[in-house]
Amino acid sequence: MIWIGDVLVSRGEGGVYNERMLGGARVWDPYRSKLAALYYTGTGREITQEMRVLYLGAANGTTVSHVADCAEVVYAVEFAPRPMQDLLEVARRRRNVVPIMADAACPEQYAPLVEAVDLLYQDVAQPDQAAIVLRNCAFLKTGGDLILMLKTRSVDVRKEPGEVFRDTADALEAGGLEITESVWLAPYHQDHAAIVCRKIRTGGSA
Amino acid sequence: MPSYWFGDIEDGRCTPFTGDPPAIAGRVRSIHTDMDAFVPPDWEVAVKCGACKDRGEYLSRLREVCFAAAERGIRDQYAGKDAELLQMVRTLDGMDEAINLLSGRVAEWHQILHPAFSRKYRRTPAHVLVKGISRNGRGALGKVAAQIEELAAARTELAKEVSARANRVMPNTSALIGGLVAARLMSRAGGILPLSRLPASAIQVLGARTALFAHLRTQSPSPKHGIIFQHRRVHNASRQLRGRVARVLAGKLAIAARIDYFRGVAAPEFLESAQASIDAAGKGAGATSAGGSEP
Repeated sequence: MIWIGDVLVSRGEGGVYNERMLGGARVWDPYRSKLAALYYTGTGREITQEMRVLYLGAANGTTVSHVADCAEVVYAVEFAPRPMQDLLEVARRRRNVVPIMADAACPEQYAPLVEAVDLLYQDVAQPDQAAIVLRNCAFLKTGGDLILMLKTRSVDVRKEPGEVFRDTADALEAGGLEITESVWLAPYHQDHAAIVCRKIRTGGSA
Repeated sequence: MPSYWFGDIEDGRCTPFTGDPPAIAGRVRSIHTDMDAFVPPDWEVAVKCGACKDRGEYLSRLREVCFAAAERGIRDQYAGKDAELLQMVRTLDGMDEAINLLSGRVAEWHQILHPAFSRKYRRTPAHVLVKGISRNGRGALGKVAAQIEELAAARTELAKEVSARANRVMPNTSALIGGLVAARLMSRAGGILPLSRLPASAIQVLGARTALFAHLRTQSPSPKHGIIFQHRRVHNASRQLRGRVARVLAGKLAIAARIDYFRGVAAPEFLESAQASIDAAGKGAGATSAGGSEP
């Protein structure tokens, strides 16, 4: 990750969402992007030039554009038509983004399209986030990394965020993932946790 | 024998797909992948298969296929459903607001220019006043008034289109309460699907949020009706009966919305029985409660 002073940036064509530029690089705002917030509050995982990334919950392509600045190719999965229109516009300008309109909960819809990836990033705000991860682990190389953004209020508003977090962590470990880091994204995002995992064995079925 | 976007692999032999990106995208939709024995596609296999020359071409062809699939997906999601109607209703409501606001403003301005003018003892509706101002007003005032008139004409046109579209997209709900009000209910709920998921009690007070929360917070009486008050059956009913009519109507609307979502065509036998029970409620006879004849 590139830091200029204490500001996180990525190098690429600017103007995607009126982001600020700093020394010719695009400022990556932790208040807008949960992934940036992870790099500010924890260590996260270095995204390098040769990495292939599967990005679930691509939304308007804001964070996707930064990830695409760092990685070789980004497979960006989004379901809703309105944000998909914005994502397509981002993908037209960034030739290493593959936009896929499909439901992240049904990987068989896009299985013929997505190669084995080094990093699985998920930010879907669904109640069954852990199950969706485990279903998508088929795309992740053994030894590859997972970054999960857990929106605890979307899983169950009545439960305490900490409890939701523990349930999710247990489900991930049962599915063949080893948790290497977990941080809360406060003060950038409320009740959001980031969980970083490594895939240590295959066959953790959902 | 896995199938990938670039071709089928069988017994180690690969048959590449041919055709333009939309055709390949269509084929990808028909592939059924077994996730238990899934091996992700590999660009080197695609090269051996003859689908592309190198990694660069692999990605650029894959992108073309994905763009074609996504554009078709977006079109399908928007087509024939409530997405456009939703925007039309919200535009209509926005226009109403703008027309009222500007008419009031223009009337005030006109009064300043004509010290002898007053609206007291006259029952001049705002749009008649605006018409007069646009005919006689000079300069910017006249132009603004003329624009309001044009906006009002466009609004009438749009209202007709909304009503016609609602009759087509949600035939049962529209038959019970009229296209315009049906479309407003749909807009407030956020679509036909969210509307069909609402309980009758929520449909009854849709659009009466302030009154509802005031009721929940304080001792004030509960709202009897929200948007559905705009329908003549509710506002023409006597005060004592309005609550009952609204409740029965909302009950039937909840059923109608579900038929609209799941079936999409008018159900004459349901509509007949629904109309009858709503009429009965309006007459104040020992009316039946909502529910009844599920089709």
